Amino acid sequence: MSTEPDRGHRQLRLMLAPYLLGLVVLVLGPFVITLALAFTEYDLIRPPVWTGTGNFTELTRDPIFRTALVNSLVFAAVAVPLRLLIALALALLLHRRAMAAGPARTAAVLPAAVPEIAYGLLWLWLLNPLYGPINQVLALGGQNGLTVFGRTPPQWLTDPADARAAIILMSLFTIGETFIILLAARRSLPHDVYELAALEDATSWDVLRRITLPLIAPVLGLLLVRDVIQSLHFSFVPALVVTDGGPPPYATTYVPLFAYRTAFEYLRYGYAAAATLVMLLLTVAAVAVQWRLLRRYGRFHDR
Amino acid sequence: MTDAGLVLEGVSAAYRDARVLHRLDLEVHRGELLVVLGPSGAGKSTLLRLVAGLHPVAEGRVLIQGRDVTTLRPGRRNVSMVFQSYALFPHLTALDNITFGLEVRDVSRAAARERARAAAASVGCAHLLDRRPGQLSGGERQRVALARALVREPDLFLFDEPLSNLDPELRVETRGELKALHARLGVTSVHVTHDQTEALVLADRIAVLRDGRLEQLGTPDEIWRSPATVFVARFVGSPAMNLVPAGGPVAPEGMPEALGPERLLGFRPEAVRLDPTGSGAPATVERVDVVGEDAHAYLRLADHLIVARVPASARPAPGDPAEVAVRWADVHVFDAGTGQRVPL
Repeated sequence: MSTEPDRGHRQLRLMLAPYLLGLVVLVLGPFVITLALAFTEYDLIRPPVWTGTGNFTELTRDPIFRTALVNSLVFAAVAVPLRLLIALALALLLHRRAMAAGPARTAAVLPAAVPEIAYGLLWLWLLNPLYGPINQVLALGGQNGLTVFGRTPPQWLTDPADARAAIILMSLFTIGETFIILLAARRSLPHDVYELAALEDATSWDVLRRITLPLIAPVLGLLLVRDVIQSLHFSFVPALVVTDGGPPPYATTYVPLFAYRTAFEYLRYGYAAAATLVMLLLTVAAVAVQWRLLRRYGRFHDR
Repeated sequence: MTDAGLVLEGVSAAYRDARVLHRLDLEVHRGELLVVLGPSGAGKSTLLRLVAGLHPVAEGRVLIQGRDVTTLRPGRRNVSMVFQSYALFPHLTALDNITFGLEVRDVSRAAARERARAAAASVGCAHLLDRRPGQLSGGERQRVALARALVREPDLFLFDEPLSNLDPELRVETRGELKALHARLGVTSVHVTHDQTEALVLADRIAVLRDGRLEQLGTPDEIWRSPATVFVARFVGSPAMNLVPAGGPVAPEGMPEALGPERLLGFRPEAVRLDPTGSGAPATVERVDVVGEDAHAYLRLADHLIVARVPASARPAPGDPAEVAVRWADVHVFDAGTGQRVPL
């Protein structure tokens, strides 16, 4: 009797081993090292010097870090909801069998399949203020390079606000994965419930508000949490490749780029580790808050 | 015409290229409970979905209380449907499920709740209103679905095999309640099932459907006592009616005239007598199934296998010789070619 579960457990451990090994060596190990380095001064040449909370007090006074932190938070606050909204709208639009739904779905997913650096370089061209297609389209019908309304088209790469908008704009097209998950979630919803709504003469707004949204809310919640965590990542490459952290003063320097520069260009590993740690803690806090909200909602869903 | 609760006029329906209903004509009287009975794939559910507006009508017209609804969308037909799966909203409480149809029609929340409570009370689920579908048993969900269908006071009720997901005991109980409910409300109802007992018990009239065509429309008594076709005769009744060619192995007692092999003689298992009076046809008992008080004895007569329902206490043993006798009064005559009943 007792050997059966034992065998099951042994098999479980065996099958988990490769993953756990990878997790410890590649993720937990570096994390612990980062944690330790955050309290030191380290330049890769001399051995680390313990400085206690020195790095953190310096961070609180560092205007560049403060800018980077605000940039990251604003990016997450704007880009994440917009990404979810667009992916949801596309999923609800394209979940039915309809003409051209297949190609449209492919088109929605495709940008996410482009390698990040290539995607960045592509946007560098798209956003070029003079000969980039975006501004050329915006200047259509206008004169002297101005838009129809006589305004200067956005200076994507040189104006701080426009550059931030450009980074957000770039992130709005890489929603392929979110889109696929929402598409699958929508398609897995029971059909009969929608037929019943049709019999009750519910308007499409009622159907969306009272049926579709509540039923896919758990998935949306999960994607929200995931995107908040991920938003740190997908601001890094565009900021590095397209705007190079600029335009001045540090308009698109986000925390990951700040940490990258501090570590690999200024060789201040301890300081970079501290910055990373702060961002990590903020992410954990954000996720914890969302998780609590979701749990409260999830109680209505237990089947 | 305006007297009819529901009229189908030459209605056809298709899934892609496959036709599932063929120019069906059907009239359901106002206040009547019509049961649509048929095997899987006969087009029963399509018929229901077509009336509800969930499936397009390829040709013909659908009228509800004299109103042509053929091109109206489902929400404008004023019908309620109870789905086989109940189709309850998993994220809403029973109460919110019941009020859904009222709220999307802009009935005030307070009024909707009051009506929902009344509807729930009438089907005995008033104590379940705060629960979600996930916390309800199959029978309880069925009641909530029923209350939701009732609450709007529709012109027509549609039931899509609502009892098929219940366990047998509950099914019998709910069947009785459905019948009582219909008697009380008197709303025109169409109830789809493949369960012949359900059909015989519930129906004011039964429409037997086969391959998208109406085989017979009649009261349960008519369906049982004078089935219009071989198909109806075999489909209703368990075990199925025996069919042997006339002039064959079985000669019913008191048959007025000799019939040729172009006629089929049908008689129910309970009409077969096994008492050896010397005049019956000789047979051998091949197999005996005992079902509680009853026994179904399968008898071999030359090329034919005949079922007799006998009391379990008086059942023969397999291998026994037996004599089969049937009275002419219990015999139905069908045309062997067309399968149609031959009037006598």
